[in-house]
Amino acid sequence: MTDRAVTPPASPSSESPDDGTPADAPLRLHQSLVLPQWVDYNGHMTESCYLLVFGDNADAFFRFLGVDDAYRDAGHSLYTVETHLHHRREVGEGEPLALSLQLLDHDHKRLHIFHEMRHGRTGDLVATAEQMLVHVDMLRGRSTELPTHLVERLDLIRASHVRLPRPDVVGRPMAIRHTHDTA
Amino acid sequence: MREDVAPFVTYRAEVRREWLDYNEHMHDASYGIALSDANEAVFAALDLSADYRAETGAAYYTVQSHIRFLAECRLGHVLTARTIMVSADPKRIRLYTELQRDDEQTVATGEFLYLHVDTTRGRAAPLDEERYARVQRLVAAHGSLPRPDHLGLGIGPEYPGTGDA
Repeated sequence: MTDRAVTPPASPSSESPDDGTPADAPLRLHQSLVLPQWVDYNGHMTESCYLLVFGDNADAFFRFLGVDDAYRDAGHSLYTVETHLHHRREVGEGEPLALSLQLLDHDHKRLHIFHEMRHGRTGDLVATAEQMLVHVDMLRGRSTELPTHLVERLDLIRASHVRLPRPDVVGRPMAIRHTHDTA
Repeated sequence: MREDVAPFVTYRAEVRREWLDYNEHMHDASYGIALSDANEAVFAALDLSADYRAETGAAYYTVQSHIRFLAECRLGHVLTARTIMVSADPKRIRLYTELQRDDEQTVATGEFLYLHVDTTRGRAAPLDEERYARVQRLVAAHGSLPRPDHLGLGIGPEYPGTGDA
């Protein structure tokens, strides 16, 4: 990969309304085509580029929350502490990707989120990502409480997302299961 | 632990400018690049990498990856990887890889589940016996290495790895 590992926002920053309007469930804030520099010699999107696209989806969610350049310049950000990907099918150069995002849980400093990456035309599930994010004071290099206005926005989103079904892969550990080896 | 048993160590790379994000820290996806390149070196040592695919039409596909991000990396940091072959069956391989900076700080850990796929038929298939025996020898050799406590745990608010790190 020769490009800088950051793709620009596909759409202008859109912040969530603070008027109590229910948030979309799930949120659909990011779409992308599979770029030529994302595919390997087999023509399939490489593993690390799934992280790139899910990262762009997380960034779109951050902007929606109000965690944007100005917020980061003031010294705070959301850092990924864990990511668990499930790959479901391959995608090739030029194919459209449509991302959704579900807020599973949050507390005063952590966000537990779930992304789905689907094929933009067929709707086929391409991959999912479960992530744990932590609010960080970048100067001190440690986790710190989210400001009240962000917790209130998260409360609103969660009130809407709590009625979504909990994806069955959430929290599931990784293992080789030997009992039903019929794949 | 026997003294001659050690994790697989081959990967070594310096953090590159294009791996950084807007904070001048290494981007999530770049940890993914380093971890998958490190794992690719293990597959290559087992003759299960690009040449194997070209020769047989079969390849290992990643079905799951679970990365824990532990410390930041900046331009000039040198990263090395240590990999344990955790387990395997004829169709699957599970690897655990730790990425360390040159100051010995562990910056990320990754658990990976790979599926052996016959790419011409687009379905899972067992590895041939000779290569599988080689995989099993590495599983057996690594069997005496200590397993980290977080291996095989999922993500969740109750999981201690997500606390005030």
